[in-house]
Formats: sequence, C-alpha cells, structure tokens
Amino acid sequence: MRIDRLNFYALLNREKTAFDVEEELRFHIEMLESKYAQHGMPAGQARAAAVKRFGDFERVKQQCVNIKQRSSLVRRLLKISTILLALSGLAVNYLSVEYRVTRIGHLLIAIAIMVRLLLYVRGLGPSTFLPGTRKTVITDTPDDGPNPREA
Amino acid sequence: MANERTDLMQGTLELLILNTLARESMHGYGIVQRIHEAAEDLLKVEDGSLYPALYRMEERGWIKSEWGISENNRRAKFYKLTRTGQRQLEAQRANWDRISKAVTRILQTT
Repeated sequence: MRIDRLNFYALLNREKTAFDVEEELRFHIEMLESKYAQHGMPAGQARAAAVKRFGDFERVKQQCVNIKQRSSLVRRLLKISTILLALSGLAVNYLSVEYRVTRIGHLLIAIAIMVRLLLYVRGLGPSTFLPGTRKTVITDTPDDGPNPREA
Repeated sequence: MANERTDLMQGTLELLILNTLARESMHGYGIVQRIHEAAEDLLKVEDGSLYPALYRMEERGWIKSEWGISENNRRAKFYKLTRTGQRQLEAQRANWDRISKAVTRILQTT
C-alpha cells in the first residue's frame, strides 16, 4: 500500500515535471515562430521553420524530464541520509560515555559531513574540455536515459 | 555562411551559457539569441540542445531557475547564475584560455 502510494507520487511528480518542461520548450518555439513571422514569413512557414530549428522536441523533452527526476531523487536521498547520520551520531554520543561507543558516534557524524561535502563537490563538477570532438548536439549523452524513439 | 559555422566542443556550450547568465537572468530563448548575436552567427548552437545542458547545470547547482513573466507577457522559466556557477565560470574561463593558448602555440610551431 505504502509502495503504491510512493509510486503514485513519483508518477504525479513526473507528470508535473513533464508538463513544466513542455511549457518551457513550447515557449521557445513560439518565440522563434513570432520572430520569423515578424521577418515577414507566412504563419505556416514560420511555425515549420521554428520547429525545424529547435530540433527533436520529444527527445529534448524526455532528456530534460530524466535529468530533473534523477536530480531531485538523488538530492533528496542524500539530504535525508545526511540528516539521519548526523542525528544518529549525536544520539550515540549523547547516550553513551564509553569511549568505544562514542567513537561510533564520531564516525557517523564524520560520514554525514562527507556526504554533505560530496553534495558540494558534485555541485562544483569537473570542467569538461576534453580532447574528444563530440558536438554540442548533446542529445546522445547516455546518462540521460534512452531515446524514446529508439525504445 | 551557414556552412561556415563552427560546431562546438562539448563543455563549450556550458561556458557560453555561464558567461551569458553572468550579466543577467534570462530564459532559454534569450540565452540562445544572446549567444548567436555575440558570435555574429559564426557558432552553431542548436536551440533544442540548450535545454538538457541547462538542466544538467541546474542539477550541478551552477544555475537556478524560477518561473516569471517574459517580455511578451508569457509565463517563462528564467535562469540565473549561483555562486557555485560564478566559480565554475571563472574556472572554465581559465581552462579555455589555457587550451586556446596551447593549441595556438602548437599550430604556430608545426
């Protein structure tokens, strides 16, 4: 029952994310369309040109949704783990005066700090000027999930 | 002219986005327009490819987004640089300088 509820919330969240991403991408296409129309292009042609210039809408949308979902889930899990570890460490230290036991408390607090640091370092991220010649058409990045058209 | 436009190396798009957002917060369309204007159409940035890059950068904490109202009164998502993003911009700028100097030096000597 609990798992069903979690799945329901995850599905609901994904729908909301997909809706927001779609609105953002559609705004971009509409801006392009109105720019072309202002340059004297007929409405139909302006629309077609905007869609063509934007690229594969569904694929971009899917990638963005995947990144957003992954991001929120990992961050949430890491934040919860950090808080739980720190609290456990403090509780162990508070409840025991024995050196061997308080060392475990220190260890838990240290792990919590390391997880927090991990979040911080992940935020900095490495620079990616690699010698490879992959183009900016970065829609093939493997960690963004499968291409829905190929699936 | 279009055939002479240059495709970008991976990582360059992120630098261009960070640099564009360093001045002011913008929506995705504005970012692409600003890059095209600044590059005088010599660089090819495919519009759709901007968004996965923006989402990845937000995931890393380099930029933040919030919904607002655009210049034509439409609901739009605006991005702005975070402090982490500012530091990343400085690091990537320095990296870019090093690489371009190195490549130029190699091209001049061989």
